[in-house]
Amino acid sequence: MILRPQPQDIKNIGYYSGKIIIGIGLTMLVPVVIALLFAEINPALDFLIGTEIALIIGFLLTRLCFTENDLNWMQGMVVVSFSWLAAMLLGAVPLYLSGHWQSYLDACFEVMSGLTTTGLTLVQDLDHLSYAHNLWRHFAPFIGGQGIVIVALSLFMKGVSGAFKMYVGEARDERLLPNVIRTSRFIWLVSIVYLIASTLVLGIVGIANGMKTANAFFHGACIFMAAFDTAGFAPQSQNILYYHSLFFEVITIVIMLLGAMNFNLHYHLWTGNRREIWKNIETRTLCITLFVTFLIILIGLSEVGSYPCAVVMFRKGFYQLISGHTTTGYMTIYARQFINEWGNLALVGIICAMAFGGGTCSTAGGVKMLRLGIIAKALQQDLRRIILPDLAVVEQRLHHIKEMFLEDRQVRSALLITLAYLALYGIGALVGMLYGYPFLESLFESTSAAANVGLSCGITTPGMPAGLKLTYIVQMWSGRLEFMSVFTLIGFFIAAIKGR
Amino acid sequence: MKMKSFYNAVFGIATEVLYAIAIILTAFLICLAAYFLKL
Repeated sequence: MILRPQPQDIKNIGYYSGKIIIGIGLTMLVPVVIALLFAEINPALDFLIGTEIALIIGFLLTRLCFTENDLNWMQGMVVVSFSWLAAMLLGAVPLYLSGHWQSYLDACFEVMSGLTTTGLTLVQDLDHLSYAHNLWRHFAPFIGGQGIVIVALSLFMKGVSGAFKMYVGEARDERLLPNVIRTSRFIWLVSIVYLIASTLVLGIVGIANGMKTANAFFHGACIFMAAFDTAGFAPQSQNILYYHSLFFEVITIVIMLLGAMNFNLHYHLWTGNRREIWKNIETRTLCITLFVTFLIILIGLSEVGSYPCAVVMFRKGFYQLISGHTTTGYMTIYARQFINEWGNLALVGIICAMAFGGGTCSTAGGVKMLRLGIIAKALQQDLRRIILPDLAVVEQRLHHIKEMFLEDRQVRSALLITLAYLALYGIGALVGMLYGYPFLESLFESTSAAANVGLSCGITTPGMPAGLKLTYIVQMWSGRLEFMSVFTLIGFFIAAIKGR
Repeated sequence: MKMKSFYNAVFGIATEVLYAIAIILTAFLICLAAYFLKL
């Protein structure tokens, strides 16, 4: 029997969603400041309208649904998945008002792509977009990558119990510090320290490459936000190709790898446990999958003979690979070059890398390194069981922050989420094929959307069918939240309609 | 105590950057090897 949600459920969900919506509204003030600094009046008004709508809805929800009760697990999950949809709808308002997006759906696609740190884009005439709108495109991943709920937790939340349920709902099941609010603040500390350092370095490289000072630092900040949050947006339509700089590319590779690292790992490295980086199952798995997929790509590219020089192979082949594996989506080639120059084997290599993804509790998407490591360890354990005598006790250890024994529930959970991701990649590919795109191209784009990567082989354009845009939006959303809170929201609506 | 935390953070950042640079250098060496071995 399904139970219909009670009024108290609706009140709790409304109240906490309202708080998060207020947070989203306030974040839209950052582009207002940039607009005023660059004397962009119309963009400033676009963002003020967006802020106003968000604040009105947020305050209405917190007033009408005021409660002092804590969230239970179901409510926490619903708040998270609902807040992400609300953030998309509200964050799209200023973008749509700019006139650079063909429709409101396109603007929603862009914001969902940003918040989920994907990086697929439907913007038109990007090179003439205002600084404020461009900053918002890059700021969205910075909010979404750390977590919309993390933003709200850091700023407003006091009820620790309810806060933890929302934190978990946002696909972060590792608490770095005993208090979840202190955990959120540490995540922001890491992001802001790297923001300052990387903006300085990228800005200086930009100036050395002949950019104007203000522009160089603006580009540096934007590129950092999109690289560290594994989003892949760039201020110019040619993406990283625009800078034509090996140094710039190497720095962005470093930032992408830092962004794909687990925040729990950052915490342990920053507090003196530096050996963890060589022992951790995630960093080891990343090294193995990275070089295995690189070898596949290398063989594939050598077969077609597209990049005969070692430096070009590194700048074109390895760069796209690291960008795909860390789920960033930065490109130093044009989208159609994947189809015209890469060949099928190299494409399969990069699709695998995108599907694998980065670290858990990081800004990256995909299946994640910890799950792949656990599945590999489980396989190893089963093989040892077969080889060793029947009476032998076979225990499998793994190291993730601490030494632990592999448990069946960990393996089951890792396999379930992996299967869910594979299904999501497949469904997107199927929809693409229904719209007439070839299999490999559809699978490439679908994996890119569902694993929150952002590499494109040319399907994602403003002219693609609306049904495909909606499919990719759902893929980005459910891939980023790792299914559980999305399933809970769907279950909540079914219970509201069919429950007793 | 504060100084120790600061040094820990600085060395932590250095370790992370070194890890990334190690990956980059290995990848570049693989590219060079592939070029010379005419893979």
